[in-house]
Amino acid sequence: MVNIQKWDWNTKEKMVADTTGWPNQFEDVQEPYVSPDGEKIASIVKQGEGEYSVCVNGETWEEPFEKLWSCRFTPDGRVSVMSSRDMEWTMTVDGEPWETAYEYIWDPKFSADGKLIVATVKQDDIFGIVTNGTTWECPTELQSISSFVMTPDAQTVAAIAQTVPLGQADVDTYYKGTWSIVVNGKPWENNYVNLYGVAVSDDGSTVAAEHRAAITDHTILVNGVPWSEMYSCTWEPMFHPKKNDEVTAPVRQGGKWYLATNGRIVWDRGYVNILNPRYNVDGTKIAAVVATSFAKWTVAVDDKPWSCTFGECVLPPCFDSQGVTAVAIARDSGKWFMVADGKVIGDPCDNIWPPVFSPDGDKMFYKIEKNGKFYIAVNGKIATGAYDMLWDPILSTNGADVLIRGIEDGKYYRRVVASAAM
Amino acid sequence: MKPTVVKRDLVEDYAIDEGVKKLTPERIEKVVNDVIDNETAGRLWTYLNTCIHCGLCAEACQWYISNDRDVSYAPVTKVKDTIWPMIEKKGKVDAEFIKRAAVISFTECSVCRRCGMYCPFGIDIAYMLLMVRRICARLDMVPLYLQDTVHSHAATMNQMWVKPDEWIDTLQWQEEEAQGYVPTSRIPLEKEGAEIMYSVIGPEPKFLAQLLGNISVIMKVADQDWTMPAYAGWDNSNMAMYSGDFEVMARVERLHHETAQRLKVKKIVMGECGHAFRGAEYDGPTWLGWMSPPIPLIHAIEFYEELLRTGRIKIAKKIEGPVTVQDPCNVVRNRGLGDKLRYIMNAVCEDFVDVSPNKRFNYCCNAGGGVINCGPPWKKKRVEGNRIKAEQLKRTGAHTVVTPCHNCHSGIEDIVDTFKLGMHVKFFSELLIEAMDIPANLKA
Repeated sequence: MVNIQKWDWNTKEKMVADTTGWPNQFEDVQEPYVSPDGEKIASIVKQGEGEYSVCVNGETWEEPFEKLWSCRFTPDGRVSVMSSRDMEWTMTVDGEPWETAYEYIWDPKFSADGKLIVATVKQDDIFGIVTNGTTWECPTELQSISSFVMTPDAQTVAAIAQTVPLGQADVDTYYKGTWSIVVNGKPWENNYVNLYGVAVSDDGSTVAAEHRAAITDHTILVNGVPWSEMYSCTWEPMFHPKKNDEVTAPVRQGGKWYLATNGRIVWDRGYVNILNPRYNVDGTKIAAVVATSFAKWTVAVDDKPWSCTFGECVLPPCFDSQGVTAVAIARDSGKWFMVADGKVIGDPCDNIWPPVFSPDGDKMFYKIEKNGKFYIAVNGKIATGAYDMLWDPILSTNGADVLIRGIEDGKYYRRVVASAAM
Repeated sequence: MKPTVVKRDLVEDYAIDEGVKKLTPERIEKVVNDVIDNETAGRLWTYLNTCIHCGLCAEACQWYISNDRDVSYAPVTKVKDTIWPMIEKKGKVDAEFIKRAAVISFTECSVCRRCGMYCPFGIDIAYMLLMVRRICARLDMVPLYLQDTVHSHAATMNQMWVKPDEWIDTLQWQEEEAQGYVPTSRIPLEKEGAEIMYSVIGPEPKFLAQLLGNISVIMKVADQDWTMPAYAGWDNSNMAMYSGDFEVMARVERLHHETAQRLKVKKIVMGECGHAFRGAEYDGPTWLGWMSPPIPLIHAIEFYEELLRTGRIKIAKKIEGPVTVQDPCNVVRNRGLGDKLRYIMNAVCEDFVDVSPNKRFNYCCNAGGGVINCGPPWKKKRVEGNRIKAEQLKRTGAHTVVTPCHNCHSGIEDIVDTFKLGMHVKFFSELLIEAMDIPANLKA
């Protein structure tokens, strides 16, 4: 993890960059991104025909590229972007391209400390996973990679990959299985018809995924071993945060959805749907989005649904830092609501982003949108002025301060506010 | 009940021909009864018990009319030869019966719902044919090319086996093409918080990439805050809905809508496709428990109507000569966008010539409902089974027919070609690009 206490928590306000002049400086300026510590703001800019660079706090990189996309900051504050020169692609970090170039590179992910950048690559029509410029060694020529996940330290990477070539309309080969899970370059022993929702335990020892064997035959695989039960449908599995041998997933039987752990039904109420279950920090509670009846959406905690329901949708829930209060963002009648333990907190908004919590769990801080302006709200009350652009708030380790990163009238500000004052 | 006299050319379809060999009476009985008992409800029984077998639905069907009113193509016959015996015999039907049911439901009905409008009781006959498809799907009796398309959905979450890198690469290529017209055109990828997520169907990056370039220019000229997903979830199409694989249908729709949620957009604007609208607006959300898409969704017709009506896009020079239109069933008959479609046609065409019958009474293109996805083996029957459409289009005297739907586009192209109508077939966005005003400050 990045040690955020090393960041500047003393300077109350800093105007990091004035971006108002950028559109006159460049042919085109793309949407900006800011570093986690708030010290940098960066945009991909077009300098001329086929000439792109990244403008960081007003300075562009020395050498332009033919094309750039996906400008993102790593957790440790470096600018990463996928870049192209001479028809080849690679990852460029703070203006320095990796030594190796590829036919294509996409879907970058970062280790929690920001030191490792992992992405999918294609070279000579073979797909692979690359970490900081080193592609994994895989004995099988992978025909595609649909998605990958990794442990927080990025030491274990698990991908859903096509391991067998498939001709046009070759249904026989398809039914024999052309996909597998590849963990750090090593494919599982078997091939499968379809795999979805790959997950890896935090220690990297266990990998789970959904397996669709036939139209109504689904189950969960854990390190290649299927659960004993088959279901008409499943959704993606998740790991218990403390037990790497405990896997939980929504499963469908007889037209209703249940939650199952290691193949055993643990939520037996039966719902129209269960989506996006989440454990609390110590694994003692599970919250999930559920439809108790058609178009009646809410959150259930340990199979007990909240009494309030929402007509449109509920986004993936989370727990506060103490693991006690379940929180979710819900939509009804075209507006978004923050909901905690079944109670609507604050006014409806045009958009709401997921919250961060104080260490004691008493306060939640989150970005909201109202009438085209952005604010930070605290437990339902707007706690800042209006911004034209705003990023998620970040709390200091002890929760005393909140880092606010936002743009007002083209000027990008980094502000530190005492959380008690919000 | 007298057996139907059926005269058809023999068509070889590997999946159906091999699938029928693997059917057993026990398996058929089990699947039929499981679907009827556990996957249908009052709706099916109401339809079954309400139908008085009057046959008024026949005149609604383009298959029936185009095949010289051969009663074997009448909607009521399609029901009589499929789901009625399945229910009456409690699933005790043989393999050849299932084979015929598969051929009827997949290749002789485009589930366009025109017949339901002519039924005195409003029975949704297409729903019953979709339940037949569901039974066939669970018996692995889906035509080869449609099944392959569903395999693509299941494996890649898009319709056309487009690999992840090909998708992004195509967008970037088309962004460059668009910059030839408007240098600051962009296809913004993964822009969180944009107003609009624009989604398309698999054939666009695969075969019709210029449409992606077109939308880039249109969005720039209209000054829209938009984005496209860089990753799976970008494809809004759903042939699994039509094959009867509702589990894959739901998975595809869930990903599409959760992608919009992930990107925190205000709405989804989808390209010119009818079945995709049905899947994303109705069938997918319903299976998942959503009353409607969790993030609002509009079809391209509605989007263009808004841009033209509000003056965000102005027309520099209208398209000359007679131009007509195809009303896609899923967005006109089943969504009511007929008037908006005519608004945009009149806005860009000097001489818009309407079809007759039109709007919700229009004839289906015969390609929708997954019929065209059944592939080359079934093409001849599909095209010849829509002679009425060829005659309808010919009467307009138009040089171009606009098809704001991909299935309509391909189906009408086949009809134009087979019946030698000498017409161009275009998407609306292709006309808009030709006709719209590009402000001087945006021009190359």
